[in-house]
Amino acid sequence: MFKYLMLAGLALFLPGLYALGYSIFEGPSAWMVDSRTFWGTPISLFVFWIGLAHAGTLLSAIFLALEIKLDRRTALIAELSTLVCLVFAGIFPLMHLGVVENFYMVMPLLDARGNFANVGSPLVWDFCCIAVYALLSLVFFMTHLKTREIPALDKYRKPMAWLLFPLVLWVHTVVSLDFATTFVPQWRGAFFPVYFIAGAIFSGLALMNLLLCSEGYRVRLLERLQLIFSWFMCAIWVWDLMLKGSLCTSAFIFAGVLPQFRMIAVIRENKWGRIALSLSVLIGLFLERLYIVSPDFGSCAASPLNWIDWGLIAFSVGGFVLLFFGIRRYLNWKMEGAGSYFGEVDGTDLADAEQQELEKEGARGIAKPRKGFYIQPWASEEYHVLRLPLLVGFAFALVYSIWVLSQSVFANVEFSFANIVPLLYPVIALVTTVTLYVRAYFVEQAFTLSRHEKWASVIVLVLVAACAGAFFAGGSSQNSTNTIDSQSIGVDAPVSQSHARLLWNTRCATCHGVDGKFNEKFVREFYPVPQKLDVQRLDSLGTDSLVKVILNGRANMNAYAGRLTPSEALGLVNYMQTLAKQATESAKEGDNDSAR
Amino acid sequence: MTPLANSLSCLIALGCASFLWRKGSSPYRNGALLSVFLVLFSVFCYFAGDINDPTIEHYPFRMLALCLCLSTTSLSLYRRRYLVLAQSLWCWIELFGGISLYYHGIDIAWTRIAALLSMTLCSTFLSKISKEMEFCLMVFWLAVWVFF
Amino acid sequence: MGMDRREFIKSCSLVAVMGLLFGCRKIPLEELAGDLPSLKRFEDEVKLALSQAKKSLDLVKIPTPGALKIPGASTLNRFGMAIDLDSCDGCGKCILACNLENNVPLVPNEDAARGRFMHWVDMRGSAPFMCAHCGNAPCERVCPTGAANHTPDGLSAMMYKRCTGSRFCGANCPVQARKFNFNDAQKLGLARQFNREVPLRDKGVMEKCSLCLHRLQNDRLKFKTSLTVGETAEEWRGRGVKTACAEACPKNAIIFGNWLDEKSPLVKLTKNRVLYAPRELADLDPSVVFMRGRR
Repeated sequence: MFKYLMLAGLALFLPGLYALGYSIFEGPSAWMVDSRTFWGTPISLFVFWIGLAHAGTLLSAIFLALEIKLDRRTALIAELSTLVCLVFAGIFPLMHLGVVENFYMVMPLLDARGNFANVGSPLVWDFCCIAVYALLSLVFFMTHLKTREIPALDKYRKPMAWLLFPLVLWVHTVVSLDFATTFVPQWRGAFFPVYFIAGAIFSGLALMNLLLCSEGYRVRLLERLQLIFSWFMCAIWVWDLMLKGSLCTSAFIFAGVLPQFRMIAVIRENKWGRIALSLSVLIGLFLERLYIVSPDFGSCAASPLNWIDWGLIAFSVGGFVLLFFGIRRYLNWKMEGAGSYFGEVDGTDLADAEQQELEKEGARGIAKPRKGFYIQPWASEEYHVLRLPLLVGFAFALVYSIWVLSQSVFANVEFSFANIVPLLYPVIALVTTVTLYVRAYFVEQAFTLSRHEKWASVIVLVLVAACAGAFFAGGSSQNSTNTIDSQSIGVDAPVSQSHARLLWNTRCATCHGVDGKFNEKFVREFYPVPQKLDVQRLDSLGTDSLVKVILNGRANMNAYAGRLTPSEALGLVNYMQTLAKQATESAKEGDNDSAR
Repeated sequence: MTPLANSLSCLIALGCASFLWRKGSSPYRNGALLSVFLVLFSVFCYFAGDINDPTIEHYPFRMLALCLCLSTTSLSLYRRRYLVLAQSLWCWIELFGGISLYYHGIDIAWTRIAALLSMTLCSTFLSKISKEMEFCLMVFWLAVWVFF
Repeated sequence: MGMDRREFIKSCSLVAVMGLLFGCRKIPLEELAGDLPSLKRFEDEVKLALSQAKKSLDLVKIPTPGALKIPGASTLNRFGMAIDLDSCDGCGKCILACNLENNVPLVPNEDAARGRFMHWVDMRGSAPFMCAHCGNAPCERVCPTGAANHTPDGLSAMMYKRCTGSRFCGANCPVQARKFNFNDAQKLGLARQFNREVPLRDKGVMEKCSLCLHRLQNDRLKFKTSLTVGETAEEWRGRGVKTACAEACPKNAIIFGNWLDEKSPLVKLTKNRVLYAPRELADLDPSVVFMRGRR
């Protein structure tokens, strides 16, 4: 079964891969965008896949946190689908960029030139949230997988679930803010956070139901939730329609009307019927994302999608199927087996299910105060586990935000707390998780790593450090156009001393100082620190190479080739020599003064 | 929205809240009710407010959050947890709705968010929620709605 | 190995010398002369753009722009323009002048058919329309890298090297004044550097009207130079600078100047005129405005 699905996925994936490669090579003009819309299918696909990525954590973490029973197999499938969806959700915003290799500039970290990303931009929030979400989902999934071998790890699942619960909602909220913060009339909506979260959960549920069909079983609770969410989505669309006077009809039919057929028992009880219902929801929601990203898509262009767009869709769908079922096959031996499959949970009533669950746990002898299910405030077990790491996380977030706000880049920008709030929770969650697991490994020694795993983690750490270093160093600062001089030095008319002085004072004095003794306040930011001006050093370097440095730049020195003629550069070098002589003389005088 | 309509809206939310989470009600009933309430709130906003006013954009959702908050007091199980969650949801809608409006040049209602956040934190300390406490909470929420 | 020490040193030094020679070689200027687009093509493209121009421009009245409200803004300078709708006849000479001044590239035919020109100046409602350099610019707020930023003098500037091409700014500009380099114009032979002072833009970055930033910078530099020899003892107010479009306008319908300088032609000529801005920009404190009728 999985094999055939993988083959089908491969058949979609390979042509899609070609489309992806072509569109990365060709840039954003490859897919359909008109003169008014700058985004396109990649962003629709991004919103779609990041929505699907909520299935896992939603079902697994939130259900775990809220103590709604979900069996291990369903939870693992959900977590795995999250990870695989995130792979594709991560690819699309990257390939959407005009200059893909500059993506690191979006990270809110300082680089060697003192550049800092604009933390007030929703895109920066996006980047951080998704990166942290991917990492934490991976940790959550691995913890779940490992609990089979190391039962002690089970203690950390629920705290992680509580951490992921807000994070998963935070991610989609931030994605919605990409749209809601703009001035595009079709994207006006302070309600977008709720709208996007509801859409994400809805599509996530549909994906889960689809995947469970391929597994050959069903979870009625999820199907019911899917139906309930279709109503809620329709209610949101009503408000959207009132606000803007337009509605994506196809999405409404696919994701609003067709899912209602679940009420007919024949369709509901048939496997293909269930597949059709889930597929219709997914198609409807994808159309809706297309509509949101480019509202006047259909009206402007004759055909809204070209072959690249179709290729990208095929790439993600095929890639998902291939990757998911590939991992699923590989993990089969870990997921199957006695005891892992609890049977289906038939949630006739959420409150009832909870009650049964509690009774079961009580029967199993787990100590839980029965009387009115009362737990002392701030006394639950997961809170005890989380307490210290959370404190560290909050402290780190505080320090981080103070550090960010004190960056010189933001001195001239109107900036408020609201600009940085969306960044805070991902930072807190990341630091908390790291603290949690570092403590679990080193202090509590709750789990051990095999040799391979140790090596792998060391390699990952080194790679992360290397990437961070490369990003810190940044790319080249050469001019866009080649303006390197083709004239030989000293050909054109020599420059007078007074003109050279003017040039020095306007062009160079900002950093090097009017008297050649650096503007300390400014220059200390640089590393390596520029050389001190003295006669010997100037002589040893020679006039020619100094002229080259002025024209072509070196280390932190900018290239002046387009702005100075070679003879002006030569004049500047001569002027530097006079300055150096003056400097040494004044130094000597200073020595004499102090000697006297 | 005029102050009168604003107070009327919280009364509507209060009225709607009493229909939710009845004993033995199915999730279908509650889900359908929530959707119907949302449509109802939308229609109310459409007629009571100015549709071109940016602050109206998340008004029905704020009403829904208030309604959820008010309804949690009648839960039988895990009341504290859902109380905190419902208040967080309200906070969430206010905060992120506020941020998106902030980018359109409208100030965020920090007092409202701060009041809700502090109440959320405080209510995690609640041990037994008595009838009086329920009443106090409801009055607090309505006060936040009307005055902040 | 039959290599003694002497030979080894010799070969090493040979390699070093070759390396040095390689490092010192002159990088030849890229030979583009053969396929540089002719001026005629630029003129034709402007004509094509004029024929496709939008007919309507929705204007609302605004007050005279004042000092910027961002922290660190200059209290002396805020550059801007006013376009006189009473004298403008929509000839489009400003577009061509801007293209030549700022090395705006041509676009391939399929883009032109879709109306996706790179021109910094568009024609809307038969009047030139460009970036308004809003004091409260929405594009800068959403730029993730800070490539779009505001100068203290009130220009909405672009750092091309810092741009990752996320096109968020373009999506958030209510009037679509930003242009994205969808094509590698240099490689396609569609770009030509008429003006050495303005760099050619790479593929994948955003660009837009810079209010002829380089002209202002040159003037400032000249002013600073004269300041060091003590010729003047004033602050720089950017007097005497004109943008390329303003220079090219046969009817003097485009007026460039400093909103905060009483002596600036901009302040003088807009004094008793009614100012307008596009409806979408009215709340964003635009620096480039329209004027029509007398007060």
